[in-house]
Amino acid sequence: MNAGHVSIKDVLYEEPGPKLKKRIKAVTAMSTVLIILLFALMVHRFYITGQLDGKYWFFFGRLSTWRFLFRGLIGTVEVALTSGVLAFILGFILMTGRISGKKAAVKICTALIEFTRGVPTLLFVYFFFLVAPQFGLKLASFWKITLPVALSACGVVAEVLRSGVNAVPKGQREAALSLGMVERKVFLKIVFPQAFRYVIPALLSELVIVVKDTTFAYVVNFPDLMQNASVLISNYDAMLSVYLLAAVIYIIINYLLNKAAAYYAGHRKERSLL
Amino acid sequence: MIEIKKLNKYYGDHHVLKDIDLSVDKGEVVVIIGPSGSGKSTLCRTVNRLETIDSGEILIEGEPLPEDGKDLAAIRSKIGMVFQSFNLFAHKTILENVTLAPVEVLHKSHAEAKEEAMRLLKRVGVDSQADKYPIQLSGGQQQRVAIARSLAMNPKVMLFDEPTSALDPEMINEVLDVMTELADDGMTMMIVTHEMNFAKQVSDRVVFMDDGRILEINTPEKFFSEPGTDRARDFLESIKN
Repeated sequence: MNAGHVSIKDVLYEEPGPKLKKRIKAVTAMSTVLIILLFALMVHRFYITGQLDGKYWFFFGRLSTWRFLFRGLIGTVEVALTSGVLAFILGFILMTGRISGKKAAVKICTALIEFTRGVPTLLFVYFFFLVAPQFGLKLASFWKITLPVALSACGVVAEVLRSGVNAVPKGQREAALSLGMVERKVFLKIVFPQAFRYVIPALLSELVIVVKDTTFAYVVNFPDLMQNASVLISNYDAMLSVYLLAAVIYIIINYLLNKAAAYYAGHRKERSLL
Repeated sequence: MIEIKKLNKYYGDHHVLKDIDLSVDKGEVVVIIGPSGSGKSTLCRTVNRLETIDSGEILIEGEPLPEDGKDLAAIRSKIGMVFQSFNLFAHKTILENVTLAPVEVLHKSHAEAKEEAMRLLKRVGVDSQADKYPIQLSGGQQQRVAIARSLAMNPKVMLFDEPTSALDPEMINEVLDVMTELADDGMTMMIVTHEMNFAKQVSDRVVFMDDGRILEINTPEKFFSEPGTDRARDFLESIKN
């Protein structure tokens, strides 16, 4: 639509010629066959080991099973969304500190960003689960999982937002300043809204990581999808079928998030808003 | 209106503005020309402190230019600036581009700002594009919107930093026409440009800069027919073809 827009793909790859097109087709056909074979082999192994036996699957015919899983899914979504919002707020604060140019703020925020990015989520979970209560900080299990997940994401969010701010052309800031706007207004009205639009796809990708991190809920006994799946497994002694289903649900959620990110990126280009 | 006294600026060891003395009177149109790298854009940008200075003084209506904070913002709101790359706010419509500062800085009502904005957009001939986004407009249209955006603040003086250098040839005139009208209306203007014919027509005085120094300040008639310095003569000669 607009000649000025060149995607990374256009820059990095040449349009394939007839020879390369043939080779691409051949490789695609081969890998498709390979994947089908692998899948068949897997189902065959299930059959041999008796995993396809009705006793591992019959309870999926019960409404109560689905209701239980759905309650878990709601738990997962609640934790993920709350963590996501918290991580965004914390990330925004850390980012503004880091770009503030005030030495002390820059140092503190940079340190916090590196710290939260570097520490594994599980360590934060253990901190709120095992260490914090010893100091009298007793939280509901919801917050014992939500806070650590948010903490471990906020540093990345801060850096993603900062990359967006840096990507806004400096002329935008200069134009706003020259109209008499003060720095704070220039940032909130002109620079950040554009930066945010740039990084929405990256933020959605980070939300995928947040969703995956919520599975640590089993550590703190919060009934998320994973925890409820575990309960089903112990009830019916059906590990493989339940985990398979849980995996499928997580894949669908994250696939939709990634799709939303891709759709937004494409949509923005089409409407030429930025 | 603008007084610049003994202004010096360095980028590291590079001395980009050397002992600049220049004043622009009310209603006057001053055009700054010179080869690229001569410091003319930098000089233009020091007037509203988008570039800081290392020594010297800049007075706006007799008052020294504040160094930061609300005072600086207040002065900037009275100095319009038009950039080479337009710098329209990419996430706002044409109308919003023009109404934003009057609402946010001058605290005008939305209705009042909108009415004024439409009047200005009509004046520069892009009122039919009011609801589009900047990227949907041609460069010439964008630059005319940028001028309207500056005018919406009712500025006492306007700075133009190579306003037509990023435009396709067929769009240059539509922008110069708007600027000529402004000059005819008595706007105080400081213009950095490479458009010599335009400079000849609208300017009251021409400032010739080279290597960070003002070499000559002259009337356009004199400057273009018999420049006072060899360097200016060479420059005019070199751009003739």
